Amino acid sequence: MSAGLEISEMSVRAGGKMLLDGVGLMAARGLVTGLIGPNGAGKSTLMRASLGLMPVSGGRVRFNGADLLAMPGRDRARLAAFVEQSGGTDARLTARDVVLLGRIPFQSLWQSGPSPEDERIAGEALDAVAMRGFADRLYHTLSGGEQQRVQIARALAQQPQLLVLDEPTNHLDIHAQLATLTLLRRLAAEGATVVVALHDLNLAAGFCDHLVVLNAARLVAAGPPETVLSPALLREIYEVEAVVLAHPQTGRPMLAYGPPTISAAPPQ
Amino acid sequence: MNPPRLRLFAPALLAILLASMVLAVTLGPADIAPMEVWQTIGHRLGLVAESPVGRLREAIIWELRLPRVLVAAAMGAGLALCGAVLQALTRNPLADPYLLGLSSGASLGAVIFLLLGATLLMPLGAFLGAGAAMALTLLVTQLLGGVTPSRAILAGISISALAAAGTSLLIFWSVTADSYREILSWLMGSLGGVVWGEALPVLAGVAVLGGLLLVSGRALDAFAFGETAAASLGVDVARLRWLLLGGTALLTGVLVSIGGAIGFVGLVVPHIVRLVTGSRHRLLLPVSMLAGAIFMVWTDTAARSLFAPRELPVGILTALLGAPIFLLVLFRYRRIT
Amino acid sequence: MRPLPHFLCLSLLLTAPALAQTEYPLTLDNCGVTLSLPAAPERVVAIRSTSTEMLLALGLGERIVGVAFQDGLAAEPWTAQSAVLPVLAEKLPSPEVVLEAEPDLIYAGWESNFSLEGVGERATLGALGVATYVSPAACRSIVPPKLSFDAVFAEIAEVGALFDAGDAARALIAAQQAALAGIAPDPRGLTALWYSSGTKAPYVGAGRNAPQMMLEALGLENIFAGVDDGWISASWEAVVDADPDVIVLVDGERNSVAQKKALLAENPITSQLDAVIHQRYLVIPFAAAEAGVRNVPATRDMAAQLAGLSFTP
Repeated sequence: MSAGLEISEMSVRAGGKMLLDGVGLMAARGLVTGLIGPNGAGKSTLMRASLGLMPVSGGRVRFNGADLLAMPGRDRARLAAFVEQSGGTDARLTARDVVLLGRIPFQSLWQSGPSPEDERIAGEALDAVAMRGFADRLYHTLSGGEQQRVQIARALAQQPQLLVLDEPTNHLDIHAQLATLTLLRRLAAEGATVVVALHDLNLAAGFCDHLVVLNAARLVAAGPPETVLSPALLREIYEVEAVVLAHPQTGRPMLAYGPPTISAAPPQ
Repeated sequence: MNPPRLRLFAPALLAILLASMVLAVTLGPADIAPMEVWQTIGHRLGLVAESPVGRLREAIIWELRLPRVLVAAAMGAGLALCGAVLQALTRNPLADPYLLGLSSGASLGAVIFLLLGATLLMPLGAFLGAGAAMALTLLVTQLLGGVTPSRAILAGISISALAAAGTSLLIFWSVTADSYREILSWLMGSLGGVVWGEALPVLAGVAVLGGLLLVSGRALDAFAFGETAAASLGVDVARLRWLLLGGTALLTGVLVSIGGAIGFVGLVVPHIVRLVTGSRHRLLLPVSMLAGAIFMVWTDTAARSLFAPRELPVGILTALLGAPIFLLVLFRYRRIT
Repeated sequence: MRPLPHFLCLSLLLTAPALAQTEYPLTLDNCGVTLSLPAAPERVVAIRSTSTEMLLALGLGERIVGVAFQDGLAAEPWTAQSAVLPVLAEKLPSPEVVLEAEPDLIYAGWESNFSLEGVGERATLGALGVATYVSPAACRSIVPPKLSFDAVFAEIAEVGALFDAGDAARALIAAQQAALAGIAPDPRGLTALWYSSGTKAPYVGAGRNAPQMMLEALGLENIFAGVDDGWISASWEAVVDADPDVIVLVDGERNSVAQKKALLAENPITSQLDAVIHQRYLVIPFAAAEAGVRNVPATRDMAAQLAGLSFTP
């Protein structure tokens, strides 16, 4: 029984199309596992399917040995938290209200309001993303990046052992991007299992311990960044020329891109 | 509004509601002194030894005014609650309690019973009509591929249109002058002539179903970011959806069968309350109920007293008053929107 | 119509029996529309029972080419006659159906009968050579004065004049006046409710039209006499508060006396009224409850019913 997230033979079919075709991955506990691949590769589908948020055609998901798809949703929500890409709402909620949503899996039906414990945990979550000062601001008045951080705080409020994030750095400025990924590394170091889908390959290279590459609903490669991010893979999957360098300070892989290999003619 | 003031809001509204009901029961076409009204109620409850008024006035107070004021409060509370729940469930600000074809179905059922001569059984006809319309709506939704909020809305619109067309046809074909008047006041919504026999199901319905919706409605906060987000928080989305849809439909069916299609309350009261309290459903749902109840108690009192001895269908007033009030609140809180 | 022409008409007919002949072309004002008849109408369409009965009572039954929106057959002695009249529609016929009967006059019991959704607008029909006449008591666009029996008789005289049936009109008026004079108002100072229809909110007779007229002749005080309207949608609370001694029940097809009695007896609040407990009811058929030739006989009938009611507790 290995600790961490273990997905095997995951297949998802919808509308006659295979969105995922027998994909498997292993995200170990204590590590940050990055999920990369071109748009439409199936990253979002894989994350949702493994958390029981969408119907699967086949496959198994185990977390710390337990069958994640078989357990009741409430129990699953106490183990795993999911951060989506877009966090739009018409509801009139403050940032604190949104973070407190993360305490729902722990609240009994008869509870009249958040307990002091809930409030404390929410406060800590806001601190972790440096948004404490925004707690009483209305969520929809926040910028895209601020909203993203509040969503992460909400996930943290669930005190999850498994944290799954779908491109959480999209709207963030450089400082916030780096701060978020540093936070994720810290959480992993504290014992969580972190799975994060990323667009930016350099961020993936710089912050992930393990990378999983998807393309066209299939698993293409898996392993440490040094092994996975080869010029050959980048050429085949992303259709770009790149040189892999070593970061002067951290020694981690860094990519320097050349021009794209596809012709300059407009797509047909 | 900051949290400490918000916490006082619900108790304050409750106090206002109770005061409103105590006052409303003293108003009406019959000229009875407030003290006599309260003493009579006290007498009936066994608290006061002698009734200060004659047999007929006692009947007016106990058999007409009291049940009517209670029904007005319950109806306002129930409609506002159903509206708030449906707006969150469908993530559609235009949702109201009659979403699943309920009021059109109820109207059709009521007209059919009226034309069959069973005028006194119109509430039953309305309830059956509402149930049939809802069943049809859900059937259509299933046939469209499964119950989702947008499919339910679309199915509800089409079933509503169908039922409304049927109602219009029947009215045109068979209704005579005097029964047309009856139907019209029912279509607009009226609490005229409500007696205890009708009040008790309404009060029971609001207490039981309202309670059910209040409790399950707390999970509605989770729906703020959509159903996937709610599911990721451990909410059983499918079960909750059925529970809430079923609960609101049943409660609305009961309310519509007694009061007709009273409009506006279910649609706008939640919005007004939301502007003040925010979207946390633990607060929004009970406060909406209180606000809806206060609103209905006063509009119904106006409907039966303002033009005495004439009686206006209360639905006219809820519509006339509702829109300007909404605009006023929107304006007041424009910095927030 | 202004009272003066009514009075003139009436006095003319009463004081100059030899001048019972109408002079054509006849022009008169009817509910804001000028009516012009080149000759006595030969083909009439009657809408609503009050119109049909007026024509039958004046012996003009042969000229009726179609009836519509009737409340059952006419009362005796015209029942057999009314049974064979051609029925154009249960409700309002469309303009096409009416014109197919080729009337030269359409006589309507309600002003709203002449509308786009009804048999057609008066101006349009007039342009087609079809004269239109509305029972003056039912005029809504120009509010008529409070209805009195004199006004009802004036309508009889006017219709008689329209059809050159002055003799019949005079005879009918005289008979009705005599019958009316024979009704002694009840001296007991009783109050009454005129309950026309409605369950949740009763539709009642108020102070301006046929209900008030007949109640006054009966010597009964209408509890809603103070409301300046023909009929209003009232509240049960106002009714019970007024505690009427007698309740007049209008017997309609869909809303029968039996249904009304049942409703009053079962309702927890009206069932407390003395009038309901002791069944102090007067019954009037629906067709007689609006201005027409049946008002006087119906009032006589109700007076007899009233005399039979006992008020000893």
